Formats: sequence, structure tokens, C-alpha cells
Amino acid sequence: MSTDPTDPTAPRVGVDEWVASHEQRRVERPGLLGVVERTLAQVPSPAFYLGFAVAAALLPAVTSNGYIIDVGLNTLLYMLLALGLNITVGYAGLLDLGYVAFYGFAAYGYAMLASPQFGLHWDTLAVIPLVVIATAFLGFLVALPSRRLVGDYLAIVTLFFGELFATVYQNGESMTVFGFSRKYDVTGGPNGIPNIDQFHVFGARIGALNYTAYYYVALVFFMVLLFAMYLVDRSRTGRAWRSLREDPLAAELMGMPVNRLKLIAFACGAGIAGLAGTIFAAANTAVFASEFDFTSGLLIIVYAMLILGGAGSLGGVIVGALVVNVSLEVLRDPGHATWVFYTLICATLVARMRPWRWLGAIIAGTAAFGFVVHAIVSAAWPRGVDGQAAVGGVLGSGLRHWVVLPSNPTMIGNIAFICLVLAVLVLTLLHGSMQKLAMIPTLYLAAFVWENRLVVEPSITRLILVGVILIVLMNARPQGLLGTSRVEIV
Amino acid sequence: MNWNLFVTELVSGITHGSVYALIALGYSMVYGILKLLNFAHGDIYMVGSFIGFGIITVSGGATNLGMPVWLLLFVMLFCAMLGGGLLGVMIERFAYRRLRNAPRIAPLITALGVSFFLENAAQLVLGAQYRSYNSFSWKNPIALHGFTLPAQARISYAGVIVIVGTVVLVVGLTLFVQRTQLGKAMRATSFDREAASMMGIDVDHVIVATFFIGSALAGAAGVFNGIAYQQVWPYMGFTAGLYAFIAAVVGGIGSLPGAVLGGLTIGLAQSFSIGYISSTFSDAVVFGILIAVMIVRPSGLLGRAAVSKV
Amino acid sequence: MVRRFGLIAIAATAVVLAIVSAAAARPAAQAAATASCSKGVSIGMQAPITGPAGSIGSDQLHWALFYFTQWNKTHKLKIHLVQEDTQLDPSKASTTAQALASNHAVMGVIGPAGSDEVQAVAPIFRKAGLAFASGSATRVSLTSGAWKGYFFRDVPNDGVQGPTDADYMFANLGVTSGSSVMVVDDQESYSTGLADIVGQALSGKGVKVDRESVSQKATDFSSLIAKVTSSTKVVFLPFQIASEAQLFAQQLQAQGKTAIAFGSDGTFDATNFTVNGSYISFFAPDVTTIPADASIVNVFHKQFPGATSPFGAPNYVLAQMYATAITKACKDGKISRAEVRKDVLKVSLKSTILGGPMRLTANGDVAGAKFHIFKIENGKYVTVA
Repeated sequence: MSTDPTDPTAPRVGVDEWVASHEQRRVERPGLLGVVERTLAQVPSPAFYLGFAVAAALLPAVTSNGYIIDVGLNTLLYMLLALGLNITVGYAGLLDLGYVAFYGFAAYGYAMLASPQFGLHWDTLAVIPLVVIATAFLGFLVALPSRRLVGDYLAIVTLFFGELFATVYQNGESMTVFGFSRKYDVTGGPNGIPNIDQFHVFGARIGALNYTAYYYVALVFFMVLLFAMYLVDRSRTGRAWRSLREDPLAAELMGMPVNRLKLIAFACGAGIAGLAGTIFAAANTAVFASEFDFTSGLLIIVYAMLILGGAGSLGGVIVGALVVNVSLEVLRDPGHATWVFYTLICATLVARMRPWRWLGAIIAGTAAFGFVVHAIVSAAWPRGVDGQAAVGGVLGSGLRHWVVLPSNPTMIGNIAFICLVLAVLVLTLLHGSMQKLAMIPTLYLAAFVWENRLVVEPSITRLILVGVILIVLMNARPQGLLGTSRVEIV
Repeated sequence: MNWNLFVTELVSGITHGSVYALIALGYSMVYGILKLLNFAHGDIYMVGSFIGFGIITVSGGATNLGMPVWLLLFVMLFCAMLGGGLLGVMIERFAYRRLRNAPRIAPLITALGVSFFLENAAQLVLGAQYRSYNSFSWKNPIALHGFTLPAQARISYAGVIVIVGTVVLVVGLTLFVQRTQLGKAMRATSFDREAASMMGIDVDHVIVATFFIGSALAGAAGVFNGIAYQQVWPYMGFTAGLYAFIAAVVGGIGSLPGAVLGGLTIGLAQSFSIGYISSTFSDAVVFGILIAVMIVRPSGLLGRAAVSKV
Repeated sequence: MVRRFGLIAIAATAVVLAIVSAAAARPAAQAAATASCSKGVSIGMQAPITGPAGSIGSDQLHWALFYFTQWNKTHKLKIHLVQEDTQLDPSKASTTAQALASNHAVMGVIGPAGSDEVQAVAPIFRKAGLAFASGSATRVSLTSGAWKGYFFRDVPNDGVQGPTDADYMFANLGVTSGSSVMVVDDQESYSTGLADIVGQALSGKGVKVDRESVSQKATDFSSLIAKVTSSTKVVFLPFQIASEAQLFAQQLQAQGKTAIAFGSDGTFDATNFTVNGSYISFFAPDVTTIPADASIVNVFHKQFPGATSPFGAPNYVLAQMYATAITKACKDGKISRAEVRKDVLKVSLKSTILGGPMRLTANGDVAGAKFHIFKIENGKYVTVA
């Protein structure tokens, strides 16, 4: 009988017992790794946050590459967003699908108060608190009518709110008050608001395109909020939020002010998104409504970060944002993507394949299989091997003699891609030696598809891989990387 | 009052709403049983639409159709429903099944992953261009031929096919759910999965059937959309899925008549706000109306109010 | 609890390692630095390759890629295309612009596609000293001088197209002062900009302009077409997607309306916009209908099957432009970004696949820009003005 809670065949009757004996079933990892793990467990989590802060602060010292700093800044903004979303979704369990609208509202708020749009150039010290408070208040307003709604109905109302925001801002270039014919350009419409002021405090200002400065601004804000959240997490409010998430009804019966807790959660989440929005607007010097649309994928990415890291976990916010954003960026470059692809395959094989002799057999088998196929194809159809490998260097020249590279690979590559997807799916259904035997042609097919089709279209491949990573990771660890598994009592 | 405008907007709203309704039905069925927001559902609709397009291409292309239109319609619908259904079953089997007892938000992210995968795989294999069913160029152009209603409002046969087709599918689905044993099992499972499984219902079987039927309806919606509105492209499922999700929730998620009503509500709200209020802010108007509906009726138009059990 | 700390530690080390190695692998760019031509030269490309605008971006990418593939087959000087996907999102455009700016092998950039994106990336490229040339950003203000010498485009701007279209409607399509024209934009910046210009030009002549807009995501125009009245002579459709103009024109006919559909350059596509009696404006003859281009288009379709859009071919010409400039800059075996910026302005192509010579003005606009009006007759594009 299985004790794995994620296994659908696990017993569902008597789950309470299962919960009660949860600690007893923990097996300590043996060996050196176990020692390291237990030692690390002794370290309080703020130490890890500090470690992260130091590492992150050193980044601009290590590199002056504008791209890496910019990616770092974006990652920090994502972390801020995920941190705010963690309050609403992770702690309070309120599914908020209009979250990005708060980010956009604040970005536009900063843009309107500090740009030539209305000729206002307020001091940043005044704008940031004002915008953050306004955004938090907006969150409060959205939550106010939504208090009665539960679960997915709340999700949909917030989604409407988000879309409403995007539509209005996308078309706000000629707004009119009912009954008046004069039109006002409020949001710049699809052209957005350009030429936004940099952060400036009492005359001192950050230079244009100085991403390093914004990087530190974002880092400081993030660390302060992270420690604040760490304290909140352990406070009365934090515990109340979590009880709300676990069971709103029970929480209410225990005398929790459920409505107030929901409103606070919404407003706090919105406020943090608002802070991120102001930094975003100033660093990017322009805002466009299409960036905050549901279709822009921003919301989806922030959710993916939060859930992947583990909803309700502060460390998860950091790890989730890092994993998602860094992998999104690393995969942009076809060379990097190729290494990631082959490394992932090898790592999976090494991690999952036992006993070892099978691993050797499969690698040798795949290599041999490749050379045989290559020989057959070059004899029967010379045009099938005269294509170019996309990557240069050692990997590229090695691959040229192993993978079949037709001169016109698009059509064959597409068919092979579909076959590969089916083959991988079938592979998950097979067991034992059948699975291992089937793995050899599948691996070769994967290499063939990668070299002929996927690497040629790196931008599409990147998103395909992100999709696959999300599916595989969520299946492997449904509670997220740093989340703790909870047992839902039905 | 301008009756022409009114009737045209009405028909246009119902036609568009029918497509939403068909997608929303699948959403709602899956949600009813698994409590899962299947974000990949819109992409099944996209695949269905491409299957229809493929059949037009195979039969000689829009301007040179090799088979009579009625046969073509039948083949398209059959293949798209079969293909969509199988795809849905595969997604359930390989992406969602392991997550059945996981925290509810985990399958949500998996669904997003599936959606990313399908959209981009479609772009990789089929290209990003917009394709067209081009039913205006068919030998018997159903999209152009039609009849004139009183008040000079024109109705195309394509619109009629979409509306009638939707009615037939919805009636069929209702009969299936109400009368057959599997349908009853579905309702039981959706009411209480644990209890159903204790009563000897093969829940796995029911879930597979639900995914198959729901996805087949999405495939049919893809074909209908192509007939009436021509365009097919890899990202079409995203917006359609979003609207269908909205339709399902507005109608009362988990309720089948609710999904249809929700779809029609959205279609009509869209076309009337374009016709009478403002084309620019039509989406804003629609969302405004829907927020109001949700606040007045938090469990959707036809949804049953959730009773929390302790 | 145990695993979470282990994971934090592992993730943190991995990320720090990744960042450090990335930093080491990609030394910071020196804008003024010269590089040797012997290892080949890189050109960056920013386009909305995936996402809702993927049909435009992937076509742009394919045409540029196609030119360089052909070029590399016959030339010793190899040119690599570094592609960056922006998804038509200005903030993603500026991040990827940073990537190109930091990549010291990149000597020039094709793209980005949207006018918003151009605005977002312009300061970055100027700081990096990079030339960037768009084959689709047509907002008038982009070449008004702020990024002179850095930003170029080989498509005429909206200030040329809008008045041409309005004049033609007024002179030839029965649009008179007092009659009305429906102007429909698709809610993004190319479309609204052009719609504004045409709308103003027409209102200036006393024409009643019914300004509408539909989201680019919309697939149904019948509700909007119901608003077309018998006094509406023309419906102007500055869309980015030809098949949407097609659908609009078809639904006009299906509802028995007599108004003429008039598309902008974004809808110029002889395979996807074919409704008889419609008009289109474009800055060149159709690529797919120029006999001399037939062979090029054939080879293109071999490499990239499927339809192409009007947004594609200008990027082929941009690739050609960069190739010419790079060849010139590489005469001494060395190349720098500044050299490319200067040489781009000196490029003068006698004939391009866009059907005419191509030269840039000092401001970065294409010289001698002129719009042609086409009428669709039996699915063929016939030049009428």
C-alpha cells in the first residue's frame, strides 16, 4: 500500500490518521547529503534570505553587462510581484486573477504624476507612497464587493476587473465625461505614456538607463518587504490568513474577522504590486496597457513562479522567480538552449535509471543506434545527411556524424516532432525492460528533432520547453519546489 | 427604432454566443467533476479548428472543393470532434491524472503548461500565419448565401448552421447526461466524487468520458467558428478560452444549461454593446455588466449556491 | 522542512554560478570597439516571433533569415542572425535590446516591429551605438530627429500613406463632403495612428467620419457592420492582419452593404485579402506578383512553407541593406558599430524585391516614398493610382 499522498490510489479513508502520523513517517536521508541537509535545517530562514541579499547585491560588481543587470532587475520585480501575490493567494488563499492590473495601475499612476503626459514632475518621495497607497486602496475597493464571493467566482470577478483595466487604459486616448464633448487624452491609448521621469529625490536623480541603480532600489525594497513578510507570517495576522486559506468556515467559527482579513490581504498584495509598478515605470521610461493585459502572459508567469516555488513559502517566492525568469532568459540563446536540452536529458537518465548497467546500456545503445541510422541514411539518401548542425564547436561536429541532418528538414522535422511527443507519452506508459528498450530510439528521435527543427526556431522552442517544464515539475512536485505538502481533508 | 440594427445584432450575438457556449460546456463539465480550470481547453478548440481546415485543404482547398458541402461539413465535424476528444483524453491521462488529489492550484499551472505547449507546438508545426476556411469561396458559399429577415436583416447559412448545430449538440448532450447510464454516473461524480466511487462508479472511466465529450464539443466549436468567421491561427484558443471560461462562470460553473446561457449572454452583450454603446469600449462594457451580474448573483446565473459542509 | 533549505542552497548556488559564468562568457560591450570580420558578423533581429502577433513576427524573421542563408551560401563574409523574441511587448523588447547591445558581435539590428517597441529600445541602442532598422514601425514621430543616425526604416511612414488614401477616396470613390466614411482601427498603435491621420484628413474635407475600433482578437465584425449605413461610402481598415480585412469585406458583402472596403499596407496580401472591388494602399508593388521576384519567392517558400504577409519582405530588404553596409565596412577587415551606422546611410540598392530602388534619407526614412493604390479585380491586385 502506498503512503504517497499524491498517488491517486492512496487510501483516502482515514486521512486524519495519516495527518497525525505525518512526522513519524519521515525518513532521514542517509550519508553525507543527509548530514548537510540536517545542518542546513538548523539554520533559520532569515539567514538564507540574507545570503540571497548578499549574493544579489554582488551581481552588479561581478558583471557590467547591461543585459544581465536588466534581467536581474526584471527578476527582482517578478519577486516583488510574487511576494505580493503570495499574500493574497499563498496565505489567504484568494484566487486573484486581476493582480497584474494593480501593477499596471501603479505603473500608469507613476507615469501620470511624473511625465510630460500632464506636465507633472512630482518628486519620487511623494509619488511612491501616494501611488502605493492608491493601489492598495484600489485593491481594497476591488475586494469590497468580492467579499461574498468564494473560490472561482472571486477569480472571475478579479479577472473581469483586470480586463476592464486593460481595455480602458488601452483605449483611454480620448476619454470624455458623459454629457461633454471635450475629449481628454488620459492614458495615451495604444501609444502608452512615454518619456517617464527617472526616480528623483530632492533634485538628485537616477540617470537614464541606469539599470544598476534600479536594481539596487528594487533589491532594497524586496529585502525589506521580505523580512516584513517573514515577521507577518509568524504574527497573529499571518496565522489568521493561513487559517482562512485552510478553511474559511472554520476560521469564521473560531471568531476570525474573515471579511477584514480578506480585505487586508487584497490591499497588501495590491500595495506591493503597486510598489513594483512604480519601479517598472521609472526603469522602463514608458508604459503600455498591452503589457498588463491577460494575453501578455505576465499574470501567468507570476502565478507560475509562485506555484512553482511553493505557494505560501517566502523562499519559494525567490526560488520560483529565479527559476522561471532565468530559465526563460537562458533559453533565448540557441546555444545555451542546446546545452540545457542535452543536460536535462542526461540528468534525468542519471537520476532515474537504476541499476547503473542499464544506464550504460542505454547510452551505448543510443550512440550505436545513431551511427547505424546515420550510415543507412547516408547510403540510401545522401541528401538526408548534408544539412548543417546549428551549433558549432565540439558538440556540433560530433553531432554531424551521428544525427541525420537532411538539407531540407522542415517537413520531416515537423512529423518527427509529433512522433517524438507521442513516443514520449507512450514511454511513460511502458514498464521494465520494454521501457528501456523503447528509450533508445526515442532518445535518438529527440536529438533528431532538436537538431533539425527545434534549434532552428529558438523562440518557439523556448516556450514549448517552458510548457513542458511546468507540466513535468508540477507532476513531480505538486506542492511546488519549496512548498510543504498539505493534506486536504475531503 | 432601427429594427435592422437590432435584429442583426441579435443574430450576430447568438451566433457568436453559440461558439462560446460550446467551448464553455466542456469547461463546465470538466470543472464539475475535477474542480479544475482547464486552461488548455481553448487550445483544444484551436486544434479542432485546424483539423477542419486540414480537411478543407485535403479535399482540394476552399476554391476547389472536391466534395459536396454537406458532406464536407459532416466530415469536418466528425474529425474535429474525434480529434479534439482524443486530445482531451490524452491531456487528462498524461498531464492531469497524477494531480487529482494535489492542491487545487497545481493542476491549474499544469493546464497553463499544456496550453503553452499546444499553442507553440502548433506554431512550430503549422506556422503562425492566419489561415482561412474561406467559406465565402466555396462552390456553394454558405457564408454568403442566406436569406433576408423582415427589417432587411440578412442571415447567412453559415450562421444558421452554427446555431442549429449548437442546438443539436446541446440537446444531444442533455439527453446523454439525463438519460444514459454514463450520463448519470457523470452527474453523480460531479455531485460527489468520493461518494460516487464508493457507490461503485468507475470514476476514472467517467473522467475520461467527460474529457472526451467536453473536448469533442470544443473541437466542434472550432469548426463552427471557422465556418462563420473564417480565421484559424495557433493563438486563437487563448482569447476564445478566456471568454468561454467567463461564460462558464457567469452561467454558474458546473451547470450545463448555465454554460449555454453564459455563452449566449456574452455573445449578446458583446454585439449589443458594439451596436449601441461603443465599439472601442465594448469589452469594458461587457466586463462591467458581468461584474455586476456576479455581485448580484455570486454563484452565477444558474449555478447552485455552494453549501459548505463542515 | 528539511528539503526546503537544501533546495534554497542548491538553487542559490546554481543561480550565482550561472550568473557568474554568463558574466564571464559575455564580456561587457564596448560600443566603440572594433571587431575582426574574419569570424563573421552578427546582426540582431527583434520581432514578435511568438504570441498573438506571431504571424507578423515569424514572417519578418523568416525573410531576414532567408536573405542571410542565401548570402552565406555565396559569400566568404558570413553574417549570423541573432534572433530575439519580443512578443510585441515593449518591456520584453527593451530587455532583449539589452541582450543585443551587450553582445559585442552584433553590429546592427533589424527591428523591432512596433512603433512602441522602437520608442522603448531607442535609448538602449543609442547608448550602445547600434544601428536599428525596422521594417514595419511607421509612426511619423520616430524619424523626427531624436534618434537620427541610429534608427532607420525602409517603409514609408503613416504621414505619407494617410493623406494619399484620403485624397484617393475623395477623388475616386464617391466620398463627398456630407457623406460618411467608417474608420475602424484594431486597437494597437500602428492602426490607431493611421486611422487618426486618415480620419483627420477626411474630416478636414467635411466628410463625416464614424470612428470605430475592434480588438485585434475579435473574429466577428457583423455587429459592427450592422452600423454601416447607406450613406457610408467607404470603410477604411488599417489592420495588421490581412485576413481580418478579408473577413470584414466579406461580411460587408454578406450583409448586403454597398460600402467599399479600403485596406492599408498592413492588409496588402494577395493570398489573404481578395474580396473583389476592395481597395488597398501600399508603398510598393506586390512582392508575390512581381515577375522578377517569382524565383526568390519560390525559393523562400521552399525554406519556409506557408503564406507570407506584407510585413515580411521589407525585412529581406533590410537584411540586404545591412549586408551591403557590412561588406563596405569590412573592406579593411575590421568592423565597428559606428562604421555600420554610417555605411547604412550610404547604401543605395538599385532594385529590391519591393520593386524599386531603396535609399535612406538622413533622418532614416526611405527616400522618395510614395504610396500606390490597388484595386482587387478577380482576386488580382491592379494598380489604379
